[in-house]
Amino acid sequence: MFSGALFKQSMKANWVKWTCVTVATCAMLAIVIIVLGSLAINDIRDSLKSVFQDAEMQSVVQENAIDGYTLSDQTLEFEDTIQTYITSQTASFLIGKTWTEAVSGYDTAIEELEADGTPATEEEKAEVRAELTPSLAETFGGFLPLLGMEMTDEQMFSFADCFLRAYDEDGRQVSSDDADFADGVKRIFENTYLNFLYDSAYQTEYDAIYQEEMAKEDAIESEVIEIAEASALVQAQGARDIAEKSIETYKDPEITLPEDLSILANEIINDYMFNQVYTESVNGGMTDDEARTTATAVKVMTNTAINTYEFYLNEENLPLEEGQTKEEYAKEQATASITDQIPEDVASALEELGNMDIYGLIIGSIFYQIAGLLLPMVYVIMVANGLLAGQVDSGSMAYVLSTPIKRRTVTVTQMAYLMISLFCMFALVTVTSVISIWIVGGDAFAINFAEILLLNLGAFLTMFAFSGFCFMCSALFNRTKHSLSIGGGISIFMLVCTILGLFGSSVVPAAMRIDAMNVFNYVSIITLFDTVSILNGTIDFLWKFAILAGIGIVTFIIGVFRFDKKDLPL
Amino acid sequence: MEEKEEVIKVEDLTKDYGNGHGIFDITFSVKKHETFGFVGTNGSGKTTTIRHIMGFIKAQKGNVQVLGMDAWKDSCEIKKYVSYIPGEIAFPDLYTGTAFLKAQAELLKLKDWTYANTLIERLQLDPSANLKRMSKGMKQKTAIVAALMADKDILVMDEPTTGLDPLMRETFLELVKEEKKKGKTILMSSQMFDELEATCDRVALIFDGRIIDIADINALKNSHVKAYKVEFKNKTDYQNFKRTKYKIIRDQEKYFQVTVQIEDKDINKLFKSLTKYDVKFIAEVKFNLEKHFKDVLTKKGGENV
Repeated sequence: MFSGALFKQSMKANWVKWTCVTVATCAMLAIVIIVLGSLAINDIRDSLKSVFQDAEMQSVVQENAIDGYTLSDQTLEFEDTIQTYITSQTASFLIGKTWTEAVSGYDTAIEELEADGTPATEEEKAEVRAELTPSLAETFGGFLPLLGMEMTDEQMFSFADCFLRAYDEDGRQVSSDDADFADGVKRIFENTYLNFLYDSAYQTEYDAIYQEEMAKEDAIESEVIEIAEASALVQAQGARDIAEKSIETYKDPEITLPEDLSILANEIINDYMFNQVYTESVNGGMTDDEARTTATAVKVMTNTAINTYEFYLNEENLPLEEGQTKEEYAKEQATASITDQIPEDVASALEELGNMDIYGLIIGSIFYQIAGLLLPMVYVIMVANGLLAGQVDSGSMAYVLSTPIKRRTVTVTQMAYLMISLFCMFALVTVTSVISIWIVGGDAFAINFAEILLLNLGAFLTMFAFSGFCFMCSALFNRTKHSLSIGGGISIFMLVCTILGLFGSSVVPAAMRIDAMNVFNYVSIITLFDTVSILNGTIDFLWKFAILAGIGIVTFIIGVFRFDKKDLPL
Repeated sequence: MEEKEEVIKVEDLTKDYGNGHGIFDITFSVKKHETFGFVGTNGSGKTTTIRHIMGFIKAQKGNVQVLGMDAWKDSCEIKKYVSYIPGEIAFPDLYTGTAFLKAQAELLKLKDWTYANTLIERLQLDPSANLKRMSKGMKQKTAIVAALMADKDILVMDEPTTGLDPLMRETFLELVKEEKKKGKTILMSSQMFDELEATCDRVALIFDGRIIDIADINALKNSHVKAYKVEFKNKTDYQNFKRTKYKIIRDQEKYFQVTVQIEDKDINKLFKSLTKYDVKFIAEVKFNLEKHFKDVLTKKGGENV
């Protein structure tokens, strides 16, 4: 089934072509990887990407600033209300009455619990609070609107719970009989308010993150809960910090309270953001000056956002969308980033350009699917033709077949030569690509070792399919011109289709893509060499590889069997 | 005569390529130690017949056997005993003649180069020359060496002398005769009657894909019937001679010439008769294969009309 002598003869006849094609392909690949790798062609892409990232970040900072501002403003208003409301004698009387109603139940319940001499545990206290909140919420329901706080039932329950906690934390010592009762009430309410803010910020953030994370495909609930809890904790702490700071500022005797408290809120948030960024920058390794510059930039950014927000809030006749509140609209305008200012399709095109994998495009699609296949394809077309049809056409096959060698032996040997020479060619290309990748940074490079090995395997399988096809044509036809025009013609046609199809394929950014050109990809078997799947780490490419190998095997077998049976003009 | 083993046997072989091309009902056999020739014009079907014998093409009808084996099915086995010189000379893509001969020797599993070297010397071949730049004659010589060096029992040669200069042709025909003496069975085709006449035992004439005649050269050469051309000095003698009952196969009145066919035993009678006439010259008309086939063709043509 195999003739060493004939194999040697084929090697002698084709080694020059093999060497030229292999050297040229390896050199091309090395140049593509090394030169492009060291030129850092990703720079422009990265700066484009950072523009979008910066815009996104700025938008988030501004959003946080406005949320903080709203919070601070509310806190100041709340503080202002309780300060003015609770100092008056009548209010004191009114509160005193409500107060006694509110806390006496709690006092009694705790005293009962502690009758045996052991202090009540947190769990027991929570149970007591849960029992009392419904009636307490009702009491507050008549009272809180007077403080300017409009609440839903649920919030009211939460507020009542927070109140009892604050009362408990304060030592349950505030009584309407005390001389400093009003101060005590103020203190408890402040703490209630802080507890309430903390709780609701925690819950809001937790719910938002939980839903967002669970919506992802590979979400694991225990992990999601962990993430949501951590994030909620940070958010709640932040809200509480801002509120505490607002109350502190309000009470600061050195500060003259402005008529419009929102001005104060603005200042508080600006300072808060400044300190936050400054501390983080210094901790992050910046010098004092650098940190100050960064923090100032952020302060300017937040100040602008808050002023814009205020401006829109005071504006009449805003073009509100249905169901949109004035606050939402104002916030949207204040936090608008560069991406919101340019037309949507341009923005998405630019963003896609920023996210484009240039190395994947050049090395995967342009080199491995087109440029790197060209020379091996020329080699396969020429050699496959020369191994059978060329020799039958010229008549030189007569010398081989006039020796005691079966036709089957001839075809199997020639097929083996074609496969082995192609395999060796791609083995060298693979070695070249691995060395080149190693030179430009190994696994740190945009295309890692595993990916480059798969790309080489894919290119080999593609050429294997083409070599089977060309070999089949060479076995079917007695004339070089027929074998070349069918085998070579269709192969080249497919390569050209892949070149045209590139302009319609998904690897090209939408701005440059012509979708209609994608039809060319459907007529070329090179499309089965799915470089996108390889580089994206999906496994789609596997079954396509199997088809390519199948095409090669089937066409080789057809060629071998057909050659056995046909007439040879020798 | 003792019946010898038939080495190559072709029966009713037909391959119709349409439009009258092809070969039709070819039947002949080549016996052991025999040299068999094929002669015919271009496209008459010599090469097609030979390709069937080599197992390169499959018969549509009839069968071809070599050493009792089917030429198509047992093609590989047969090649152990058959050497072939193709009609069209084209070599594999190798650099020199030497490289080609070496590759061929490897395919043939031939180790002993003595005979090959003898052949190279006899044919004055320089095998180190570049295959692509070889002249037609050089190529032909290389092909002859490649075929003969294996020293197999059967030689099939398709127009082996094309491209050879007259001297080399002589050398080659000598070689063929030597091979024949060694006891080989040889089948060769040619367009030249004289070279077949010089080497073959029997020659088949193929015309339009059919065998018209198979001539036994020895029988023709040793025929008891011979022809003599006689020219007379005057018209009277010429006319008087024509009145005698000798068989005249050609008559040229203009030169007072007649060609007489006569059996060997009657030769004295002819001479005696001729003494009565004034004869200018008398010459034996040599046996000639070409002439023989022309006669056959003319006769056939006559029959057809």
